[in-house]
Amino acid sequence: MRATPWRRIGWRNLGRNRRRTLFTLGGLAISYTAVVVMAGLGRGMVAEMVGNGTGLFSGQIQIHAAEYLPERSLYSTIGGRSGLNVAATLAAVEADPSVDAAAPRVYAGGLVSSGEATVAAGFVGVDLALEPKVSTLLESGLRGRHPRSGRNELWIGQEMARQLRVEPDDEIVLVAAAADGSLGNDLFQVAGIFSTGIADVDRSLALVPIDALQTLVALEPDRIHEVAVRLADPWEAPPTAVRLSAALGSGVLDSEVQPWTELYPEIVQYAELFISVEWLLIAIVFVIAVFGVANTMLMATFERRREFALLRALGATPRTVLRLVFTEAVLLGGVSLICGMMITFPILVWWQHSPPDMSWLYGGFTMAGGLVRPTLRVEYPGAIVFTAAIALFATALLAATFPAIRSSRVAPAETLMGR
Amino acid sequence: MWSPFCAAIRSVVCAGAFTVGAIAALASPLSGQEPREIVDRVDQLLRGESSRGVVEMEVVSSHWERTRTMRIWSLGTEYALIRIVSPKKDAGTATLKAGDEIWNYLPRVDRAIKIPTSLMSSSWMGSHFTNDDLVKEHRLIDDYAIETSYEGLRGTIAVWELDLTPLPEAPVIWERILYQVRKRDFMPVWAKFYDERNALVRTLHWSEYRTMGGRLVPTILTVIPADQPEERTEIRYLELEFDVGLEESFFSLRFLREQAD
Amino acid sequence: MSVHVSILTRLALRNLRRQTRRSLLSGLAMVVGLALLAFSRALAAGAHEDWIEAGVRLSGGHVTVEAPHFHARKTLSYRISGDELRAVNDALSTAGLAADVRSSAVRLEIQGLASTAVSAAPVTVLGVQPGSERDFSHLAERLINGRYLAENDRLHAYIGEKLAERLGLGIDSRLILTAQDAEGEISGQLTRVAGIFRTGIPEVDERRVEIPIGMAREWLGADGSATSVALLLGSSDRVQDVVARLDHELSSRDADLEVLTWREASPGLDAAIRMDDFGDWVFHSITLVVVALAVVNTILMSVLYRVREFGVVRALGLTRTETGVQVLIEGLLLSVASGLLGIALGLALTWIFFRDGLDYSFLLEEGFRAAGTIMEPIVRPRFHVSQLIGSLAFVFGIGILASAYPAFRATRIEVADAMKFEA
Repeated sequence: MRATPWRRIGWRNLGRNRRRTLFTLGGLAISYTAVVVMAGLGRGMVAEMVGNGTGLFSGQIQIHAAEYLPERSLYSTIGGRSGLNVAATLAAVEADPSVDAAAPRVYAGGLVSSGEATVAAGFVGVDLALEPKVSTLLESGLRGRHPRSGRNELWIGQEMARQLRVEPDDEIVLVAAAADGSLGNDLFQVAGIFSTGIADVDRSLALVPIDALQTLVALEPDRIHEVAVRLADPWEAPPTAVRLSAALGSGVLDSEVQPWTELYPEIVQYAELFISVEWLLIAIVFVIAVFGVANTMLMATFERRREFALLRALGATPRTVLRLVFTEAVLLGGVSLICGMMITFPILVWWQHSPPDMSWLYGGFTMAGGLVRPTLRVEYPGAIVFTAAIALFATALLAATFPAIRSSRVAPAETLMGR
Repeated sequence: MWSPFCAAIRSVVCAGAFTVGAIAALASPLSGQEPREIVDRVDQLLRGESSRGVVEMEVVSSHWERTRTMRIWSLGTEYALIRIVSPKKDAGTATLKAGDEIWNYLPRVDRAIKIPTSLMSSSWMGSHFTNDDLVKEHRLIDDYAIETSYEGLRGTIAVWELDLTPLPEAPVIWERILYQVRKRDFMPVWAKFYDERNALVRTLHWSEYRTMGGRLVPTILTVIPADQPEERTEIRYLELEFDVGLEESFFSLRFLREQAD
Repeated sequence: MSVHVSILTRLALRNLRRQTRRSLLSGLAMVVGLALLAFSRALAAGAHEDWIEAGVRLSGGHVTVEAPHFHARKTLSYRISGDELRAVNDALSTAGLAADVRSSAVRLEIQGLASTAVSAAPVTVLGVQPGSERDFSHLAERLINGRYLAENDRLHAYIGEKLAERLGLGIDSRLILTAQDAEGEISGQLTRVAGIFRTGIPEVDERRVEIPIGMAREWLGADGSATSVALLLGSSDRVQDVVARLDHELSSRDADLEVLTWREASPGLDAAIRMDDFGDWVFHSITLVVVALAVVNTILMSVLYRVREFGVVRALGLTRTETGVQVLIEGLLLSVASGLLGIALGLALTWIFFRDGLDYSFLLEEGFRAAGTIMEPIVRPRFHVSQLIGSLAFVFGIGILASAYPAFRATRIEVADAMKFEA
């Protein structure tokens, strides 16, 4: 016997009681949607955390001189004392297909002082044109404006501003040990105050135009400590780092290329924990669905027991009846899947592009060093689209098992005689 | 956290005091001294009195070398003022020590900045001294148990070698200090500082003992960090005067800004 | 109508009984759904509470008592005097508070500098009572070398692994602590390392130094005083109550102190917990929707298939309304009964199998750290009346919702049509 007549009979049966089919189908489709959207939300949360954790400041890949970390010595610039062709290095990094942008940075430690108050600070020299392409720190402004390149202006965190009791346009003194052994010091104007929500950053970081910081600490313009790299996809960081390392190996001596997964292993761990919950999700949703579907299928088959009896009387084996019911289940699963996908994908696309903001319900919060906004942002959840599809079919088949067995055992004669 | 290392700084800052001990030593040449007394003598040399002087400080680090000329005023162990005269880039930069506070005056921005506690242990002016070294005022004999580990000739010079270990509750970082003092005039020769694991951390050398401002002083002091033996900070006296009649009010923030050289 | 309702209830019950298998299956979806829901909510609540507790143990407890302004300024000028400390202890021993407060820790906290011959680093020094602190922070359990502080210790310090590395410290090493004392003078204190801990949390391993409070007081000239009293409660739900009562008790004793909740005292932990809350909220919302749909679906099906039967009932004289009410009752009975069974089953299973905690360490290589806490890879479920009430409300809500439409449909059945309908 070919499969075709069974499929046709199955189709007809599904169509015979539209409302019942619709309900079962709806249940399965919504289960599918729930699982995939929820997994997408989970991924979205993780992506938000990874994106913010690495996007706020660190970038997804960092390039340093090999001996720079963990001491962060002022002298350990990339390429050593002779410096680096910064423009050429940035170009080489940006040549990699995964790389969105790259920006140079200079770090120094010192004091910031205003009036009576003096606090220890970390200075970060940033290229004001390139930095916004790599990190979002320059977007986290609270008051004031961006510093301007080539000027003695800077951006400080909210907590530092509070401790120094300064507002935008106030003058403050920067003091830092310079690379030539002198005590670099100069007046700077507070251009603006930023607030990241991360206590450490808001307390201790000051952003200075890279050229102004290099002048302060007596480093030549070709001496930088770090190239921060932004990738389109943060999870591409490890292989990209390997490629960059090979690409730079020839030109830049002794550099170390590290992906964020190495720099912040705790974020990776959190992401893994989050994703491992997806299995629990599939289990809960589809176990519930199994009972719902089994119920309707049982009713549907019970209602059709005369029909099955007739089939048996016409010579169909129990196996055939079994097959008929299962074919129906598979068809139901297939249609449900299509419907589920038709509901799911628009939601995914919609929430991916403009996630509903839930901050009216929850304020913003920081997590593992990254600011997380409570939006229902989704990321395309990848494999779970298929895993959930398989689970859907499994559910339909599992739910059909009992009704199918019952139907195949219908006694033809008695049933046809009525009760 | 008093140590000969701090004393070393004070031999820059408050160098005048050396003479007292030198005179005492000359007055009563000693032998078979109690080790505590020896250290106390050397210690005493570094206390009290006002002084004024000019020194040269050469710092050699693995990344740069820098020689500065500085004017120094001191009053007892409480107050000191150090003002850089040259090179031009640093000229006018000054440090004021008043009690346990340190202020840096920066002429370029015309501001005086107090060093916060968290940075007291960082380097002073890029040298191998820390800000803390300038501040600490405890006396060695208050914090250390002292034994004579050697007494006799080293080369042609009669010396004591003293072994200092911290008293049970003394708040000092060193586990051990070895200290060589000339018997003849109570002049310190060297001091070695050891950490927890009995590893050498820093060595001080005094040399060029000469009479300045009427008193015998070691005119050169060298600090060598053990982990970077190619680095050093060397302080050389060019001029020195004692009992110059400074008042406490001289060591104020106002004067830090106003004083001309 | 009341007479009718009882008759209708009987009818509904008989209907459910007659179609045992169908009722069972409809109910089963609900039983399973609610059992899973009860299970996952108990676990989520447990994980949540564990997280809060781990976090507050390492910081200021569920509730922290401090002198006004200490939280912002962190200097000894704002400290709890000996008299005030006694007032706090008196307040805590009142019956109302003693029941809620599981453990308390008196601390003298100061920001300072730790130095050795090798280097120096900024630290937070906590003067602690070793006995009560051991039970409070559980930091003693993180020991990797040496031992925790003991009651009679004087010059001992308990430090983190990162700090030990940075300052070149081993057991019995000299560690000099420098800080501003009660008079505002810089003061140094020798300590010796008694033990080294590792939490895996950078800010704790790098910055926290514990010393006996007696020595801290002696060193800082703060005799008899403290900067904070940290309280660990039986449950984080009691925080608001305890704060209110403690505020009242303290002001009645003329002690001008500030009582902070952990959310105020540790904003970082608060943020992490709120994020976890949000995740739970999303998760449970979706699960609820799925369970609700499954239930509505099954009940709907069970009713829609009985058009003929309703026709018969109508033909026997029941009004439209009465037919509708009968269906409503039937749906409610089914959903409430199976819902209750589901909740009971879920809670029972959770209690029986996971009372001692669900070990998910297979998911993690090592203990998991986030937002300044160590997460134990074991979640102990937590049962709460509010969970139960919420679930019950949900069951009723779903019962009504699921039965409303079928009931409405039942009222619209025309006797003649229904009788024609072939079942």
